[in-house]
Parts: sequence; structure tokens; C-alpha cells
Amino acid sequence: MRYDVIIIGGGPAGLGVAIKASERGKRALIIEREKRLGGILKQCVHDGFGLLRFGEKLTGPEYAHRDVVTALGMGAEALTGSFVISITKKEGEYFVATTSERGLRSDSAPALVFATGCRERTARQVNIHGTRPAGVLTAGSCQHLVNLKGLLPGKKAVILGSGDIGLIMARRLTLEGAEVAGVFEAKGEPGGLQRNIRQCLDDYGIPLRMKTTVVEVYGDKRVEAVRVAPVDDDMRPVSAGEIIPCDLLVVSVGLIPENELQTSLGLTLENGTRGVAVDQYMMCVDREGVYVVGNALHVHDLVDFVTEGAMTAGSDLGSGRERQLIKIDTKNLSYIVPQYFDVSAPAQKSVFYMRSPRSMRRGVLKVFADGVEVLKKRLVNVRPPEMIRLECAVAPVDSLEITLEEESV
Amino acid sequence: MVKLSVIRKKLDRSGFTSVRAEEFNGGVRLSGELDNWEDILECGRLAVDKKHSRGVINDIALKGYTPPPPRMPALTDKALEGKTPDVLVIGGGIVGAAIARELTKLKISVLLVEKEYDVATGQSARNDGMIHAGIDIKPSSNKVKYNVRGNKLYDKLSRELDVPIERPGQLVLYTAPWQKLLYPAIKLRGALNGIPVYPVSDKKAKEFVEVPGLRFGGFMCPSAGVVSPYLMTVALAENAVVNGAEICLNTAVIGIHSNNNHIEYVDTNRGRIYPEVVVNAAGVFSDKIAEMAGDRHFTIHPRRGVEAVLDKTAFKKAKCVVGKFVISGSSGKGHTKGGGVIVTIDHNLLIGPSAHETPERENEATSAEEFEEVFDKQRLLVPKLERGDIITYFAGTRAATYEEEFVVEKSPVTDNFIQAAGIQSPGVTAAPAIAEDVRMWVKECLSAEDNPDFNPIRKGIPVVRELGESERAALIKENPDFGEVVCRCEQVTKGEILSALSSPLPVDSVDAVKRRVRAGMGRCQGGFCQPLVVQIISEKLGIPPEKVTKKGAGSEVAPYIKEGSK
Repeated sequence: MRYDVIIIGGGPAGLGVAIKASERGKRALIIEREKRLGGILKQCVHDGFGLLRFGEKLTGPEYAHRDVVTALGMGAEALTGSFVISITKKEGEYFVATTSERGLRSDSAPALVFATGCRERTARQVNIHGTRPAGVLTAGSCQHLVNLKGLLPGKKAVILGSGDIGLIMARRLTLEGAEVAGVFEAKGEPGGLQRNIRQCLDDYGIPLRMKTTVVEVYGDKRVEAVRVAPVDDDMRPVSAGEIIPCDLLVVSVGLIPENELQTSLGLTLENGTRGVAVDQYMMCVDREGVYVVGNALHVHDLVDFVTEGAMTAGSDLGSGRERQLIKIDTKNLSYIVPQYFDVSAPAQKSVFYMRSPRSMRRGVLKVFADGVEVLKKRLVNVRPPEMIRLECAVAPVDSLEITLEEESV
Repeated sequence: MVKLSVIRKKLDRSGFTSVRAEEFNGGVRLSGELDNWEDILECGRLAVDKKHSRGVINDIALKGYTPPPPRMPALTDKALEGKTPDVLVIGGGIVGAAIARELTKLKISVLLVEKEYDVATGQSARNDGMIHAGIDIKPSSNKVKYNVRGNKLYDKLSRELDVPIERPGQLVLYTAPWQKLLYPAIKLRGALNGIPVYPVSDKKAKEFVEVPGLRFGGFMCPSAGVVSPYLMTVALAENAVVNGAEICLNTAVIGIHSNNNHIEYVDTNRGRIYPEVVVNAAGVFSDKIAEMAGDRHFTIHPRRGVEAVLDKTAFKKAKCVVGKFVISGSSGKGHTKGGGVIVTIDHNLLIGPSAHETPERENEATSAEEFEEVFDKQRLLVPKLERGDIITYFAGTRAATYEEEFVVEKSPVTDNFIQAAGIQSPGVTAAPAIAEDVRMWVKECLSAEDNPDFNPIRKGIPVVRELGESERAALIKENPDFGEVVCRCEQVTKGEILSALSSPLPVDSVDAVKRRVRAGMGRCQGGFCQPLVVQIISEKLGIPPEKVTKKGAGSEVAPYIKEGSK
């Protein structure tokens, strides 16, 4: 079938694009490999979703449900249980072949959206050695077993990584009757949102130990213990550390955008985000008509921003801009999305998402268009895990620069 | 005759005066107690005399160390009590599986016992999957003989068993310019053993490796290939079962009773078995089995190796197996061929192995030190290797003897005992050839007839991701489960997983499924698909989900049911 846009991935990012595209009368097809739409949100049974967008504290499934109902209600079509096996381009049209239990199928559209989400870094990818028993799980995998399958993978857990999923799983496991011996973080600062540290650890008396990592796993059939050791700034162990008996090691050590389909199309990835480079409408810099949204583009901490970025892409589909791209210069940022700016687009509000490389009590964000300061914004409690969102109406001609500076208190 | 006085002198000269050396079973037995493992190994090496002795039996104890007991199956029953197979094969690695299949070419009954939850859980799964050319093995050894014969058998085996092999060749790079001068000797060695080889200039090397780390050229052994060693083991075992062999997993040999140098019965955790002939293919425990059978003349000193697996996206960095030229010293130490960068049959890059001597036969834990050693060493060969490309790493234990030689023989001591012992690298390559010889001895022993009904053909599980469009569509039409992708990284379908669960050798664990169809072997390492595989196993086999294991009893993935979910 021919569509105006094919969206690969039916999580919040894909749904956001579909809603906006359908609103504009575009025929959208969502391809989702699982049987249900909603992506990873379906297993996120905790609340806190939608605070910015709806002013309500929703659970993940509730948030997803609203978007599924809206998108399908507006006429977006969804192919669930379908897996993309190839993408080819012929005369400006993208042909997407999928497999499902119904057979093989090919659909096409002049616009393509990657909303493929991200995957978790594994225990082995952070240099954990020792045996390979049952009971070593990534946080997402653990969450799947507990929240969707009703199983408990262990009774005494050690959690490595203070990212949001790690924190949330510490609380979940505690609520389900397991003991969490502690959350360990190799870096000097927690990786998750402050509110999650309070609500998931402090409220339950779960200890958080910084600059300490798991170095070794013991146990033949099941985890029997892990060794944790203090590390230096380069995350190298500085002593033998101690052995903690446990039957479950949950690792929450980072998310990696799923971009194998994108790279198979020859798109290149940015170092900072491990996603592709895009303009302010989330369109790939080196491919007209291809958009990347959500965690496939860069890993978000709030779903509300995922939806916002996706809707920006949805609002641009088929606009046929004759792009004139300039690279956005930055100072003191670990990354910015978009990385490029289309100066041919009509002057309107644009949103920039960025992260600070380090924590600051106070910071100043400045935007310079063609060398002229057009916006200055004061920030408090800047932390790398908390994404900075900046809204700015700007119409540069030659250059756009965004800088972050620390302000002395 | 064993020359004890020579060995005594060697031991004394090295300061091992407290070590006792005596003649035992045609070999040399060492005993006593020493403070460190390296000294014990050194004594073993000093006692090697391949010309006059059947082998080294090293019983020197390590002070203050009690070896851990072998990993034993959790169950005990009488399922095999009173069984009378013509041949009992001990060990379900690639050697045991190849032997079992080969024996079904005879009109005899074959029983294979394996103490683990699946075949191919030891060395046979924990190696680089190379079909070695054999150029780097000492000429006129059992190793090279079986290697060269085995290498040639692989094409036929691959066709019959539907297990893919590739022969990308092995590029051996010189580490110094003068080594080029040795090429005529290499060529001669190749000619003597029937191994093709040709020289490769530095310029030509770049056709095989994106950026070779060594710039002095080298030589190519085009017959070197790759296979999935665990898939081949599974295929051999399945074909053996289809041809009438019985394979009992979770079955450990705990004793062998002989009378007058003749094995009468074998005790296992599942009852007493009365075989006519016993074949020892017990890998790292093969010396223990030899001892039980009354013909111990070698010792296994376990040597652990670590290998790292790189993402498929690293594949472009090397297109063949790359190793570096190593001139083996005479000290007999550190028997590793230096390892290298291997392009696996699945087009991952694999780097390693390391070599670390250890008294522990089943310690397959990796350590940061051994891992770093592997990575640093191989990066010299292919400088573009990056840490971020590594998706996992694993360790295995080689069953090395002090002679660093395979023990493949019809026992001259125990009349109904055959050994395929001390098999380490290149065991995968050699296994099919070893199995042929074992069949020949069994045939003689039992005056067995050939089995006219032997069917060499096994149809593998379809690899859906590799099918053409029309074939794929037809398969899904026939069975919609082949349309549903479960493991996203390796694109494994539900149909493939279900096929693995209903294969001739029944399995029920997540890791057994992984070895057969690769679900969970990709870059996310099962993060997404493991819960789904657990569910599929549970539904297909009727096991409650909390009882589904990663690798056999005691390794339940999620052993408890959540409160309120009951």
C-alpha cells in the first residue's frame, strides 16, 4: 500500500508523529514489531508520565493508551506484530518490507520516520567479569518479567546503575517483596532524575553508593554473590572491594539508540547522541524525507519531550522545504538536538534539547543568531541526567550558537 | 622402557627433589606436594618423553588446595538401570557426538551420556569455531593427522547435516621482515601434510584486512574455515539420535567396574549400565574416566582461554581469519597458537583466545586481566578493533595433556575401552576423523556389521533471515510462526525457536535454544527476547514459566511468582 508516511516503531515517538501527521490529513502507517502499540511504556507501570503534557501523573500504559486511541481515531493505520526486513528507495519513494505471521508485505511512502527506540547496555558491555549464571538481567528485562509476566527473578538484588530504570526497579523489586541490598553507581553523580532518587530509594531506605561498581559475578547456575569495588574517575577499580551475597544482579548502565536500520541506509551517527544528525524538524541532515524521533534520536528522560519532538516531525512531513542547513555551534554542552538548523524555514518557535556535561548550581544559556545574542536564560541545578529544553523563536542567516556557562553563586 | 633416571635428573636439576617419579602403566607417575601450580606444571612438562613413555601421570598435590568436585546433575533416578548398549560413549561434546553418529553407521546400539543439560556446553561451545588448516601443528602428530583428515571431511559433513561452513582462509602475518625467509620451510611443511599454502604480500594482505597491524606480509592457508562448533555438535547428536542412538543428558558417570582388564559395568546417577564397549570422550575429565577404566596414562591440566565477540558491524574490518606467525619454542610452555581475529560463520568477529593454566577444570569465569590480555594482543593484528564493538566474552577450558597431544587409541590395557581423550584445539576440526577411527575399532571389537539403514541427512532448522523472498513467504504461509520475529537483533522467528524445542534431541532451556537458533546472541544479548523465549518454552513444553531455566535445573530465569499473580 502507498502512504504519505511510514513510521517504524509504535511507541510514544511513533504515535506522536502519527497523531500530528493524521491531524494534517496525511495517511500514516505505523509498523510495530510487538503485538500491541505503546512501545516500552506498556511495562512502565509506575506513574509520573505526562506531567508536562497533560498536567497529570499517568502510568506508562495510560499515557500510551491516550495516544493509541488518538492516533487510530484520527485514521492512522498500524501494522502490529510486524518486523521490518528491508528498506529500499526507488525514485523518491521508500519501500518498506515487513514480515509477520500474516506473511511478507511491502508498503511505500515518500517520507520515512524512524521511531525505533533504544536498547540497554549489558553487563558484559561494562566490563563485568566472572561467571554467566541466571539472575543477571538488564533493568528493562527485569521490568518485563516482573510487570508483564508476573514473575520475580530473585529475592535479594544488587542494582548497578542509578539511571531512572535502575531506580524504578529498586522500588518495584522492594514493593514485590525482594530485598534490594543497594544501588551502586560507578560515576560520581547519580544518573537518574532527583525525584526518582527521592521517591524510589530514599522513601524505601535503599542505600545508594557512588563511585562503586560491580566487577565480578559469582555462582554457577544462579547468581550467588557479586563483588563490588570502589573506582577512580576513569572507572577503574582502586581496591578489591567486597563480596555481597545476592541472587539477582540488575544492570541499568545506559541506553543505546537502536539505529541499525538507519546505518543500513548509510546514515551516519553522531558521537554525542549515537543517533543521526537532524534539523529542527527532526529530518535527517543527509537524507531528505527521513525523520528520526524519540530515543532512536537521542535518549530522553521524559516521555513528554519524546512526544513533543515527534509532533514537530509530524508537522513537517511533506513540507518540501528547500533546505539550507547550518550547523549549530555549541559551547559547553555534551550534545544538542537538533544539530543543524534550516535557515530557509519560516521564522517560528523552535525547540532545542541539550545536556550539560557536568552539574552546576546555576548556569546561563545564551542563544546567538548571526553573532547577536537573542536569548538568555538562567538555569538552576543543572545536571547531566536532566535534559535541558529551550524554546526560542530564531531566524538566523549564517550562524546559530548556543552556549552554557556556569554562574558563580 | 621409561627412562626414569633421565626424568629424575631433570627434576633434580630444576630443584624439584621432593617430587617422586615412578613408572606406572607404561608412563611416568609424579607424586608429592608443591606450593604452586606453575611448579607442578613444570614437573609435568619435564617428565614428558614421548618416545619412551605412554605419558605423564601428574599426581603432585597443590599444597592447601582441594579441587572442587565436578559439577553434577541435580537428578538421581534409575532410568538407565540395567541397560545393555553395545557401546557407551561418555561425553557429549563435539568428539562424543561425532563418535555417536559415526557408530550408528554400524548395526549396534549406542548410548551417549552427558552430565550437563545439553550437548556442547564445554570446550565444544567455548572455542572460536575454526576448521584449522593445520599448518601450525607439529608434523607427524596425532593432532595434525586428525586435523588434516578432519578438515577434508567438513564439506561433506556440512552438506549432510545442513550446518553451514565457510572457508575464508587463514592469513598468517609475519611479525618481522626476516620471517619471509622461512616461507620455503612453511611451504614444505604444508606439502608434507597436504596443506595448501601461498605467500601474501603486504599489499595483498589489505584485501583481507582493512588495516593490517603488521606490515611484513605473510602467507595464506586457504583451506582454513569456520563453523558454528555448537551447532555442528547439536547436528551430529541429532543425526545420531535419528539413526537410533540414545543420548541421555544430565547423566554423569560416577564409577566404572572392571574385572580382568575388562569393563563390566558403569555406574551413573541414573543407574548401572552394562555396555560391551566404552568410549571415553569426556573432555576435561577424560583422565578421570581413564583412571576409572583402569588405563590412566595421561593427565589433563586445564588451560582456560578467553574469547571476545564483536558486533557484526565490525565484520568489515577483517574478511578472513587473521593470525600472527609464531615460532613455537622448545620449552613446551604456553601452548597456544597465538590466537587471532576470527570471522565467525555468523559474521561476527571473535578475538582470542588467551591461555591461562588453572587447576580448576570447570571454572569458566572470565577475569579483567585475561580479557585485557586478549584485547590488547589482537589489536596489534587488526588495529581498528574497538572496545565499543564488543558484545560479550566467554571462557572455556581446554583438556590439555602434558604431551600436548590427542590420546586416540584402542586401549592396550582394558580390552573393551577406547579413548578419544585430551582433545583440545584443533578438536573441532579433528572430531570427524577421530570418530571414523573409533568406528573402525568398535567394528573390529564387536565384529559389527554395517547399518544399511543409516541416513546421513539431517534437515536443519530453516534460517529464516537468510531465505529469499518467495521461500520466506511460502514458509510463513505453511507455518505463520516463521513470520513472527522474536529476537530482533538476530532476526530469529518464533517458528525457529519452536523447531529447536521439538528437535530430535529435546531441550528445554534458554541457552540451548540460543545455541540452536541464535536467539539472544546479538548485540542486546537477550535483553529484549529472553522473557519472550521463556514464555515460548513454557507454552510449548507445558512448563510453568517460573520453572524455565537458563541452563538446566537450578538456573531458573525468574524462579518466583509475584505476590498477587498466583
